[in-house]
Amino acid sequence: MTDAASGAAERSVQVKLVLLGEAAVGKSSVVLRFVSDEFQANKEPTIGAAFLTQKCRLEDRVLRYEIWDTAGQERFHSLAPMYYRNAQAAVVVYDVTKATSLEKAKTWVKELQRQANPNIVIALVGNKVDLVQPSQPSSDSVAVDAEDEADDATATPGENAGSTSGEAESLRQVPREEAEAYAQEAGLLFFETSAKTGEGIVEVFTEIAKKIPIDQILASTRGNAGRGGAAGGRAGAGQEGGVNLQENTNKARDACSC
Amino acid sequence: MDVDAVVFGTGLSESVTAAALSKAGFSIAHIDANTYYGGDDTSLTLDELVQWADQRASAPRDNQSTYISAQRKKYTSISRSSELVPQSRQYSLSLAPTIIPSIGPLIDSLVASGVSRYGGFKLMERLGMFDRPGVVRSVPSSKEDVFKSKELSLVDKRRLMRFLVFAAGEFESATELKGKENVPFFNFLRDVFSLDERTARSVAYGLAFCVSAQDPTLSALQRLRRYSKSVGRYGPSAFLVGHYGGIGEVAQGFCRTSAVSGGTYVLGRRLLSVSSLKSEDNSPSGRKYVIELEDFPDQLACDLIISSPDYISTELFAHASAVMTSTPSLLGTPSEPYPVARCIAIIDRPIRFCAEASATRAAANADAPSGEQVLPEKIATGEVDTAFLVFSPSSVPSGSTTAAVHMLVTGEGSMSAPSGKWIVYISRPLLGDDEYSSSAEELMRPYLDATLSLTTSASDVAGASPAQPLFTLFYIQQLPPSPASTDATSTTLVTPPATSLISELADAATEQAEKIFWRAAELLNASRKSEDAKKVEVESFWPPLDVIEDEPNLEEW
Repeated sequence: MTDAASGAAERSVQVKLVLLGEAAVGKSSVVLRFVSDEFQANKEPTIGAAFLTQKCRLEDRVLRYEIWDTAGQERFHSLAPMYYRNAQAAVVVYDVTKATSLEKAKTWVKELQRQANPNIVIALVGNKVDLVQPSQPSSDSVAVDAEDEADDATATPGENAGSTSGEAESLRQVPREEAEAYAQEAGLLFFETSAKTGEGIVEVFTEIAKKIPIDQILASTRGNAGRGGAAGGRAGAGQEGGVNLQENTNKARDACSC
Repeated sequence: MDVDAVVFGTGLSESVTAAALSKAGFSIAHIDANTYYGGDDTSLTLDELVQWADQRASAPRDNQSTYISAQRKKYTSISRSSELVPQSRQYSLSLAPTIIPSIGPLIDSLVASGVSRYGGFKLMERLGMFDRPGVVRSVPSSKEDVFKSKELSLVDKRRLMRFLVFAAGEFESATELKGKENVPFFNFLRDVFSLDERTARSVAYGLAFCVSAQDPTLSALQRLRRYSKSVGRYGPSAFLVGHYGGIGEVAQGFCRTSAVSGGTYVLGRRLLSVSSLKSEDNSPSGRKYVIELEDFPDQLACDLIISSPDYISTELFAHASAVMTSTPSLLGTPSEPYPVARCIAIIDRPIRFCAEASATRAAANADAPSGEQVLPEKIATGEVDTAFLVFSPSSVPSGSTTAAVHMLVTGEGSMSAPSGKWIVYISRPLLGDDEYSSSAEELMRPYLDATLSLTTSASDVAGASPAQPLFTLFYIQQLPPSPASTDATSTTLVTPPATSLISELADAATEQAEKIFWRAAELLNASRKSEDAKKVEVESFWPPLDVIEDEPNLEEW
């Protein structure tokens, strides 16, 4: 966690990651957990209205995730093609206590396979496992205090987070085996997580990071970035003939951040 | 669902308005009848474009929506090739090909709203004028160009230089212009600056993008000054072309920003009804309008409707008010919109901007203006990826004798076509009634052929034939009806196109959006009469970006 270390020699790469999933499965809270935990020791996370960013260290490399939330545009089937454009990773979230949310996740996976970059790394994430576990302190190494953060800003109304251990497993509507089998068949990474306790969250992003073809992305951004190249979403920086509109307008600020 | 305003249509103007209203703190719902963003400004995949064309060309059905009826009146004389082209999804084809000046309202808004982070842009590589088949002339736009030009005599160089200095300055108060603001620009150049015919054509059509010899002087000068100031902001060209099809993608970015600020997005729903409620009706929400959409669970109640003309039914049209950009501050006097005949073609050989058909490679190399970011081998062959070509009147046999025609080509570099393919857009202004008897294809074929002649060059083996397009679409884009009223109290605001000029479209739409935004903010605050409804403080078109949104660059740490 010494991210402030010499960045100059470090090879870093920017990865656009898009979030998908039914409303209220905990998409935003999965990301908030990831972003705030990872960053607390060092620096306040960069939380913008547009997207969240978070670094992820992997051996000698640093990935910088640019995490795009749907901003509610999935609600009436109005996600723009721009959303999928140049995404190198996707996290498709469902709620383990809601069977229909897995069905919805499957349609998002199909949509990604249709719309997105063919090499996109997709992770299927069953969230809210805390609801189906006996209530005991988690022994997971990345766990944090449960009261640290609200479960989800868009939590399903009326859900019962304080269930006892006896009822817990009965709340589960999606067996782990079923979802895992589907993920394997469709070629997806698979995780069960709890945004509330932090269980499994960091793993989602580090496992994705391991599957991202970093060298390819570096090669294409440093050289002639063709279509489907990296640095997606950014104002063409690093791409052949691309123009960064902020240039010549934000000189002063850029100078300060050095 | 209860919102302050409902916006119909996701064209650039409506999308910018929606983003600004959401950011200011108003609640909006943004509706589009299409399943895609961008309306008439959209960019589509090839399959989607074919579907778009076929839907508008097919026989009218009973019970078709207001939107589709309006679209069928707007897009006429549609014809397309029938062969299938693979890799459909790798194309982003624009219904509103646009070049964006580097200085202007759109770029300002992109930066100020933060939307610039969503989209990429490419600098225009070359700008030229069609000379004759296979030959493109470059346009001397700077003092250096004039100085280096081999075409101009010393006297002509001096005259052109004098004009360019005049045009870069505060000419509004200059004696040369006094009383001549509305004379045809062409005459002004000839009479006041003694430019010869050829140079005057270069300036009027190639620099100021006049569409006819009748274009008035003042607005042409204002455009020219703005474009020449744009040179150097992002590179040697004044113009940018948006990645993935241009302003359709930009509109998506503004819509996302609106959504991030709480805007609700509903696409692909047909508008069933708009009911205007009078205050004595005592509607439960207290709102002025109730809107019903097909296949939508909820009614939408709102106080204000902002709409592209295509959504406004006849009865509502009577109450609607057009928000015109009649006196813009920055853009000067806008050119009146006109109908446009259009051609979209896909080719698999590059277009070359070669100065002389007989030119050797070395000569072609020397002709390329200095400082352009073209790969060495591209300079040698004149190959262009993203470039703009002007056909002045009478420059093409059986073409227009009165109107200048514009050609934009975009390739892989603008992320709009797969490798080895280019999209050609040709726009021909229809300025006279005589052209209406011809089909779009008849109007555009001479220009397409002239464009294709640029895919061969003298260095090719003799008899090399020009490229044949893999796909062609021809159509005429008519002007939509515009409400006569500009009543400032109307709560149905309509956004008719402010211009048809390829280099002004984006900025004019943005200026229009700003006008609508201010009008809407005023109307919405005026409608918040009750005590619990707090007025929204609006201080600027775009509120300052949150500092926290700025992301430091990792490489700089």
